[in-house]
Amino acid sequence: MMPVPPLVATLVDHVPGLAFGVPLVLAAAVVFAGTHHESPERIRAAAIEWVGWLGGILGAVLLAVALVSWLA
Amino acid sequence: MAHDDPAAAGRQVAVSPDDGSLIDLGTPAVAALLSWLVPGLGQLYQGRRLKGLLFMVTLVTTFVVGAWLGGGRVVYASWQPGEKRWAFLCQAGIGAAAIPAVVQSWSLLGAAKEPLLGGSFMVPPLLRGQPVSQAYATRLAAVDPDLDADDFSPSPPWQVFRPFPPPGMLDRRPADQLSIWHRRLGRFFEIGTLYTMLAGMLNILVVYDAWSGPMRTAAEAEGEKRS
Repeated sequence: MMPVPPLVATLVDHVPGLAFGVPLVLAAAVVFAGTHHESPERIRAAAIEWVGWLGGILGAVLLAVALVSWLA
Repeated sequence: MAHDDPAAAGRQVAVSPDDGSLIDLGTPAVAALLSWLVPGLGQLYQGRRLKGLLFMVTLVTTFVVGAWLGGGRVVYASWQPGEKRWAFLCQAGIGAAAIPAVVQSWSLLGAAKEPLLGGSFMVPPLLRGQPVSQAYATRLAAVDPDLDADDFSPSPPWQVFRPFPPPGMLDRRPADQLSIWHRRLGRFFEIGTLYTMLAGMLNILVVYDAWSGPMRTAAEAEGEKRS
C-alpha cells in the first residue's frame, strides 16, 4: 500500500473482501443508467433499478457458489 | 453546445429517450475522443454537464481508488514473454490516466532501460535477468523496501535484476518483482486491478454515449420503429 495514515490502512485491511464489490456495483449502475437516459430523474431511477439487477444477479451467483461449496 | 435547433444547423443530434428532445452531439468524433481522454469530458463539451460530471466523478474515483488499493502497482503495460498484462487492455479504456503506463513501459524496455517519469510510477515489474540502467538500479535499491543492491549484478553498461543462477545453484528469492508485489499487497493487488479494469471498461460506454447519445434497449428501439 502507498503511505497512508496507519488508521486508514488498518481499517481498509479489516474490510471484508465482499464489501469491495459494493462500490463497483454502484459505479456500474450509475454508468449504465447515465448512458441510457438523459434526465436526472430517470438516471436516478434507472441507477436504483440497475443496483437491484446487478446486486441480485451477483448475489444469486454468490449464493450458488456458497451452496455448492457447502455441499462439496 | 447550446443551440436553438442543432439539427437545422446540420449538426449531429440524438433523441433523448426520456422526453424526445434533441441532444446536440457537436462533433461526435471530438466528443468521443475527449470522453476517452477524460471520462465525461466529451459530455461536458456537448453541454451535457450533469452527465459529464457524473461520469467524471464516478470513473475517476473508481480508477484512483483502485490504483491506491493496489499500492500504485496495478496499472502498468507489459508485453514481455513471461509477463503479458492483459488487464491493461481494459485499464487503457480510462484514457489519459493510463497513458503514463505505456510511456514507462516503452522507456524501461527501450534503449535507456529506465522509466522516463521519476520513481516507479506505473512501471512494469522487473523480470529475472532483465537489464536496467545503473541509475534506475541504484534508485530502486534506495527507495524500494523490498529490494537492495544485492538484487542487481553489474553487466556493463547495465545492471541485471536477479540474474539466472549458475547451473546447480538455487536462488530462493522470488523470480520477479511481480511476485514481490503480490506477496506484499495480498488481495489488494487483485482488488485494485479489478477496480481499474472496471473503470476502463465502463468508460467505453461513456465514449459511446458521447459518440451517439443515450443507448436504447431493444424494446425501446422496436417501439420507436413502430411509431
